[in-house]
Amino acid sequence: MTEELFAVFIASTIRLATPLLLAAIGELLSEKAGVLNMSIEGMMLTGAFAAATGAALSGSPMIGLVCGMVAVIPLSLLQAFLTNTLRANQIVTGLGINILVLGGTTLGYRELFGARSREVIPGFDKWDPPLLGDIPVVGETIFEQVWLVYLTLPVALLAWYVLTRTGLGVAIKAAGAAPRTVQNSGLSVTLIRYGVTLVTGLLAALGGIFLSIGDIHTFTEGMTNGAGYLAIAAVIFGNWRLGQTIIACLVFGAATALQFQLPALGINAPNALLIMMPYLLAFIAVSGLVGRQSAPKTLAQPYWPR
Amino acid sequence: MTVGIAPEAAAPAGMTGGRAPEGDMSVGARFAMQGVGKRFGSFDALADVSIAFHGGEVHCLLGENGAGKSTLCNMIFGVHRPSAGSMQLEGAAYAPDGPRDALEQGIAMVHQHFSLVNELTVVDNLLLGRTLGRVDRTAYAARMAELSELYGLALEPYRTVGDLSIGERQRVEIVKCLMLEPTLLILDEPTAVLLPDEIKALMETCSRVAAQGTAVVLVTHKLAEIKQVAHRVSVLRAGRIVTTSDNAADDIDRLVGAMIGRDALAEGEAIPGLSAAPRQSAKSRAAAQATGDLALMVDGVSFADATGAKRLDNVTLTVRPGEIVGIAGVEGNGQSELGAILAGLARPSAGRWFAGNSELTQASPKQITAAGVGIVPEDRHLVAAADDMTLAETILNNRMRLHARFGLIDRRSVTREAEGLIDRFDIRTAGSDVRFGSLSGGNQQKAVLARELTMPGLRFLLAAQPTRGLDVGAVAAVYGLIRDACTQGAGVLLISSELDEILAVADRVLVIYRGGIVNERPADPAHKEAIGAMMAGQKP
Amino acid sequence: MTARSLKMPGAHMSALIPLLAVLAAFAVGLLLIVATGASLGQALSAFSQGAFGSSYAISVSLNRATVYALVGIGFVLSARAGLTNVGGEGQIAMGGIAATAVALQPGIADLPLGLAVIIPVLAACLAGGLWGGLAGFLKVRAGTNEVISTLLLSFIAIWLVYWCVQSVDLLRQPMSSGTTLPESSTVPESTMLPLLTGSYASPVTVGVVIAVVLALVAAVVLSRSTFGFDLRFVGLNPVAAARAGIPVERMTILALFLAGALGGLAGAAMLLGEQHSLKTGFSSGYGFDGLVVGLLARGRISGVIAGALLFGFLRSGGITMEMAAGVPTALVQVVQGLIVVAIAGAAYWMDRRPG
Repeated sequence: MTEELFAVFIASTIRLATPLLLAAIGELLSEKAGVLNMSIEGMMLTGAFAAATGAALSGSPMIGLVCGMVAVIPLSLLQAFLTNTLRANQIVTGLGINILVLGGTTLGYRELFGARSREVIPGFDKWDPPLLGDIPVVGETIFEQVWLVYLTLPVALLAWYVLTRTGLGVAIKAAGAAPRTVQNSGLSVTLIRYGVTLVTGLLAALGGIFLSIGDIHTFTEGMTNGAGYLAIAAVIFGNWRLGQTIIACLVFGAATALQFQLPALGINAPNALLIMMPYLLAFIAVSGLVGRQSAPKTLAQPYWPR
Repeated sequence: MTVGIAPEAAAPAGMTGGRAPEGDMSVGARFAMQGVGKRFGSFDALADVSIAFHGGEVHCLLGENGAGKSTLCNMIFGVHRPSAGSMQLEGAAYAPDGPRDALEQGIAMVHQHFSLVNELTVVDNLLLGRTLGRVDRTAYAARMAELSELYGLALEPYRTVGDLSIGERQRVEIVKCLMLEPTLLILDEPTAVLLPDEIKALMETCSRVAAQGTAVVLVTHKLAEIKQVAHRVSVLRAGRIVTTSDNAADDIDRLVGAMIGRDALAEGEAIPGLSAAPRQSAKSRAAAQATGDLALMVDGVSFADATGAKRLDNVTLTVRPGEIVGIAGVEGNGQSELGAILAGLARPSAGRWFAGNSELTQASPKQITAAGVGIVPEDRHLVAAADDMTLAETILNNRMRLHARFGLIDRRSVTREAEGLIDRFDIRTAGSDVRFGSLSGGNQQKAVLARELTMPGLRFLLAAQPTRGLDVGAVAAVYGLIRDACTQGAGVLLISSELDEILAVADRVLVIYRGGIVNERPADPAHKEAIGAMMAGQKP
Repeated sequence: MTARSLKMPGAHMSALIPLLAVLAAFAVGLLLIVATGASLGQALSAFSQGAFGSSYAISVSLNRATVYALVGIGFVLSARAGLTNVGGEGQIAMGGIAATAVALQPGIADLPLGLAVIIPVLAACLAGGLWGGLAGFLKVRAGTNEVISTLLLSFIAIWLVYWCVQSVDLLRQPMSSGTTLPESSTVPESTMLPLLTGSYASPVTVGVVIAVVLALVAAVVLSRSTFGFDLRFVGLNPVAAARAGIPVERMTILALFLAGALGGLAGAAMLLGEQHSLKTGFSSGYGFDGLVVGLLARGRISGVIAGALLFGFLRSGGITMEMAAGVPTALVQVVQGLIVVAIAGAAYWMDRRPG
């Protein structure tokens, strides 16, 4: 592999991993608190669609970003209300919301953009960071990314800080492991779970926003195409740990990048295997064949306060 | 275990034996209550309780299961509200509107069931709920080390709670309470789950906490503990304080008598309802016993739980056909584990057991049933039935195949047999197709008995806490049924935490303590005190 | 999802609430049609034309309903044992792969007595069953949550289909030119599911009959048989079921195997009944729709049939509505999503709370 090809590979890995990272970090927070947030796919799609719409109508990608973030809030609250207040089955609710959003965004896109599918929408430009961008060969290829890519770094750091250095992080982890104890300590499990669902929604929407107005500057129907499920798989493969989840996202990103790179290198690996790889890895991880799984104990179980 | 050590701190100087006059009792007390009662439905859990706890003292609450000890503690901790009477804290009226409120007012409680997050470290458990912002774990660890040093609670701050022993987990609970600097610390049966060394350390801690000026309330069954730490002992029986002592070490006999209700025993009506079922004399039954195989033989059975702690230790016992053997003991001494093994839901870690001449040590529940073993488990909702099934389905749940042809259940046949059994066992129900969970406890238990007693070839019956939660009439009916099974030649092992019940029903009594059978006595009221003392850990 | 006895009090409620949810979702759907500016009358007539306007339309709808019904029956069966099978999509895919692979084996097409069809169909059942049973095995062995494992297995199976049709070493048809599509060869005529009418003008296959028969069998098995009793017992209280002598672990694996086998059968019905060659994404959405049908049924086989017909006709009508009246078929998805969300939330009023 030449240096240049390798740099391209690294760059596309990072780019492809970005939406996964944002969504998976959110999903990790949710699952730590005991919420299996299947609707993350729908949340990403909502973000992607609302951002595209906002940007197209206003001409400003920044307004698009705000639209994407705002649009996901009612959806997150719906998910939280159904699963925390009504104690609905978290999986069923998630799948239902995903179908709803897929239908809704497709319908909305047709209404707003008509048949002009794949219309180019104002989006964020790539950003050449000072110093880093000046490094020969790799500088331009790797570091010239949309700024949302760089946002994942503070997001990950913040998540790490909250989970490991704050009482809130302790409370979130306890809410997924022993919600009754959290209640006994005077905190509200319901409030914590509403909170993480909302944050997950915002992060997932950010991932979706990156897809539409960050990466390809257009919206296509169902464009998340399973990225939300991939984020869930990353959390599982990451064994519910932040560092490992981030690595999982990068591995998944690399697998996708390889699909485009390998043919260029003349290597004939089955494409399908690379696409399947994330799910296969996550499956091997949950199958208990390797290592001990540490899923939050009350994952996907509704909590009934006493 | 050391007996008769004088408490090292804040000796109850100037206190005289016997019960202090009520007016004086609460003077200067940290906490006091007068005439407090608690009613659940039509049941008086507590009646006219007056008691006072003083700073610097360990006050033990002694009583059998169901005497009202936990209700009393929960009331002080704000879980329940009293139905009558009043409470004072530091002389001011005290009416907490929940545990949180109680905590804020300086009352902390160590529950029987730990409220810890096993996945987190010790320190994180301590700081849960204290702050949402940035946490300074070093400061918590330092504070913990301080408390550990002061009270003898050795703990490593950064270990995961799930990896700790039961005793260490309890220390975390206690430190969690002590961090709040309570003025009153309640420990609800803290030693039930501990090993001897851990108990010794805990007693030491109680004394030290009291020495710092805190009022300590210790709920217990165990006399040795009382002797070791109590400045004062109050005995609860049937929701009332029946006696109080300031000098426990010398008063043990009187306290035991009060706890098990010697007076009631003298009247020969310890458990209302039992006399309704005619008691067959043990001798006449012994005469009817077949001389063949034993109904049950348990040979050196041990059981270790998931954490490796030994819950049953080399238990050996036999039950002859036609005999009722009672296992007396305070709950949590291995009875549940023994029950699970005999039901086929757990495997012994050592030893073997037999019913008749079949070895069942590794048998499945199905094989155990086929060998003629009937099980009335202590938790019928968990083990004996599904609440959402019908009564008929529950009565026949292990023999549906007998009512099926080509895999299809003949409902008429099911209904017919079920209704026959409903009549025979006098289950009061609107029909055989009502939901099992909607029946009263007594009728549920009769349904379980109807199933377990009518198995073909019944040779042994385990009845674990068979009358818990039942009303008087149902208690008599249940014992009538168990005795009938004996008359027909089955051997019965009766596990109960109600000593009176065992004495009234069994032929002989085995006492279980810390997972081992410590002694055997005839089921004679004359042995009641000795048995009661052994249940509380006194050596035979 | 809790499986409930047929004699539960309040059983009428659990039938009424889904009905209300469906009606409310339809109302929203109608409002959305108006909002898109399309003519309501035109849209509805296009919808009914597509759903049941011709014998061809009815046939297509029924074939679609067959797939939903099979997956839904499997869902209800495993739900009875307290298991949530969300892997219908992957089980269909595995069934499709197996049916294609076996049907294309030399010699299979020449088998007499209908074996040319029966053997590929059974292979599909086995493949789907193993895919489902694997999740059951992992649950018993490693305690893996079946929701997570069946979901992941679905994605794996979907990409296995892609792999099969991309690779000439697997099932891709021989490359005769650069434009050869990435799909399998057409299965031989003798391995195709027979049409009930014998005419391609109304291509309803024998799969419909199989689904109806299996629905009846499942209804009887669940309500009358010792097997159904054991399944329900395991679902309601596994500890008590074990005490009553029921092999709980074996039942867990078997329940998911059967659910998977029904999914595999659905895959065979699609492949050998309508599509005749394996293509990427051939199962797209069918498994999840079938899952929704199973959920809506709330444990009843009659509910599965009603739901399968509803969604079968809904999807077919939706497609025609888009072509004839310009109302996007996504509207049908919105309606479906609303139904699922409403029913999931309504469980609060339908199920008893713990404790």
